[in-house]
Amino acid sequence: MGDKPIWEQIGSSFIQHYYQLFDNDRTQLGAIYIDASCLTWEGQQFQGKTAIVEKLSSLPIQKIQHSITAQDHQPTPDSCIISMAVGQLKVDEDPIMGFHQMFLLKNINDAWVCTNDMFRLALHNFG
Amino acid sequence: MGDVQEDPQVRHTPYSTWRYKKRVKRQNEGHIHITVWRDRKALRREMGENTQDGTPGSWFKITIPYGRKYDKTWLMNSIQSHCSVPFTPVDFHYVRNQARFFVQDVGTASTLKDVSYKICDEENRKISIFVNPSTAPYSVRYKLEPEEMEQLKLTMNKRYDVSQQALDLQSLRFDPDLVGHDIDMILNRRNCMAATLQIIEENYPELLSLNLSNNKLYGLDGLSDIIQMVPTVKILNLSKNELNLVWELNKMKGLDLEELWLEGNPLCDTFPDQPTYISAIKDCFPKLLHLDGQELSPPVIIDNDTPCLIKPCKESYKGSDALKSLVLQFLQQYYLIYDSGDRQGLLDAYHDEACFSLAIPFNAEDPALSSLCEYFKESRNMKKPKEPSLCVQPLKHTKRDIVGSLCVLPKTQHDLSSFLVDMWFQTEKMLCFSVNGVFKEVEGTSQGSVRAFTRTFIVTPAGSSSLCIVNDELFVRDATPTETQSAFSNQEPTLTSSSMPTRSQEQQEMVHAFSTQSGMKLEWSQKCLQDNEWNYTRAGQVFTMLKNEGKIPEEAFKQIT
Repeated sequence: MGDKPIWEQIGSSFIQHYYQLFDNDRTQLGAIYIDASCLTWEGQQFQGKTAIVEKLSSLPIQKIQHSITAQDHQPTPDSCIISMAVGQLKVDEDPIMGFHQMFLLKNINDAWVCTNDMFRLALHNFG
Repeated sequence: MGDVQEDPQVRHTPYSTWRYKKRVKRQNEGHIHITVWRDRKALRREMGENTQDGTPGSWFKITIPYGRKYDKTWLMNSIQSHCSVPFTPVDFHYVRNQARFFVQDVGTASTLKDVSYKICDEENRKISIFVNPSTAPYSVRYKLEPEEMEQLKLTMNKRYDVSQQALDLQSLRFDPDLVGHDIDMILNRRNCMAATLQIIEENYPELLSLNLSNNKLYGLDGLSDIIQMVPTVKILNLSKNELNLVWELNKMKGLDLEELWLEGNPLCDTFPDQPTYISAIKDCFPKLLHLDGQELSPPVIIDNDTPCLIKPCKESYKGSDALKSLVLQFLQQYYLIYDSGDRQGLLDAYHDEACFSLAIPFNAEDPALSSLCEYFKESRNMKKPKEPSLCVQPLKHTKRDIVGSLCVLPKTQHDLSSFLVDMWFQTEKMLCFSVNGVFKEVEGTSQGSVRAFTRTFIVTPAGSSSLCIVNDELFVRDATPTETQSAFSNQEPTLTSSSMPTRSQEQQEMVHAFSTQSGMKLEWSQKCLQDNEWNYTRAGQVFTMLKNEGKIPEEAFKQIT
């Protein structure tokens, strides 16, 4: 039909929104998480909207920019969407690093929120 | 919220009270029913009188107050199970808060009356059943004449496609045949719908597809009879009708629909966005695959009987250990088959309706990355990506498709020791985790290349101690030089490093000394000594000779940090 499947549409617009928020003002990211959300940041776990926003805001980053190289979306059995974003990020004056992030999105009261978020740096540069 | 219609007979408005009034008005069209509430004694007397009169086949209206909230099939089955006499409900419909239907014959009516207060609903409330004498129901009173039925059958035959088992009844009222014979098929009227369904039941009992588009349908009480009569229908087109509420659609839940068309109904406009609309319809028909022509995400119905061996996060530490070992065991088994050269064995690991997708970073300008093009060879209809950097294959679902595409990917060998597993989340029925690691391609044009991957699995428990994959998302990229170097460093197939034979103290000292002198790792030093029968000097000579000839691989030597 030419139209992208719905999970791709939702997933890619979420990813765009997320990284835009993150790069511009990550204290605003609270809106996309809920109290039951879970963040795994480089293996460390944070639970709840408040804890997550605290962790993200407290990262020693003045300026950050994400660039998405690849993204992928799948629907899950319980009508959620699992989204993956891979790309590069530049923090302050540090060298560019690769990263990989997975989101689990759920529709709650007509809004898509993130219930699980997993972030890992690719510890070395992309080839 | 609905479109403003030019039709002067505005059927729907935002004002619910008015809508109800309209409904009642429509229900009363042609009905002359006697709604008289009597107490039980009086009713018995009245029913007794009827019997005494010997009036055969007198009709009774059965009312279930608050019946609106009960599913028709459930209600009928519940009543029947408490009823000693089989009964045939006629013209079942919902009106205001009630559910109503008709039965013929006093004996049935009286038995039904006795069922009152015997059935408990899900909230443990007793269901009351009221029985009143009544004139014959609409569809009986205005039953089509035999000649009309015959003509209708002929007309429907013309609209039936045998090869597709599909019946197209769109705009039935304006079919020239019917108009020519003065047969007014207003499908909203119970008698017309009943006649249509009767013909379908008699002539197309295995009907697959039914198109009722453009018939001004505002209620589905009549159509819902099809669930008992012709349950084979899987494709239903209700587009361009007057359906206001999803509640109407709920009446059709008994059909296992795979394809549904609803566009052009007022109810479509009541949703704030497409996903909410789709979600609401899917709640009604979980097995639905297509809605309004759009493919829906594949349905995965998790069997409620599967054992819950996955404990929720909040449980004890022991639970999470068991979980970890379950996941590691799963990964070991999975990659054993994955690397074996024949991935068909993975069919059992996937759910029937699982999803798989593969993404790679693609940069047309970077020749190194173009080697990953191997991963696209099986996708014949791969769309050219708009942005060259984002390359995702179309989603694969059903296990056959998935394993089929996995089999075409290059043969691999995964370095299990490089695996970094992130447990993501767990519920009673699902577990999600990611694996980061490296693998080597062992054949083909990129043989020897080391790739890095991240693979996210969502699994459900299956059987006593195994997991079944429902989602599989794989991302592959070229490994960085550092990753390539450290890959497979713990696996040395030529050495038996994992099962070092017990050595004597002396031998141990020899190995250490040799290692220090030669600069080789302990395992390699040991091998050299072993090969030379623990003759230290000879081993040294052999080592020097081989080294000068360049025959010793780099990985034998200790990294100088």
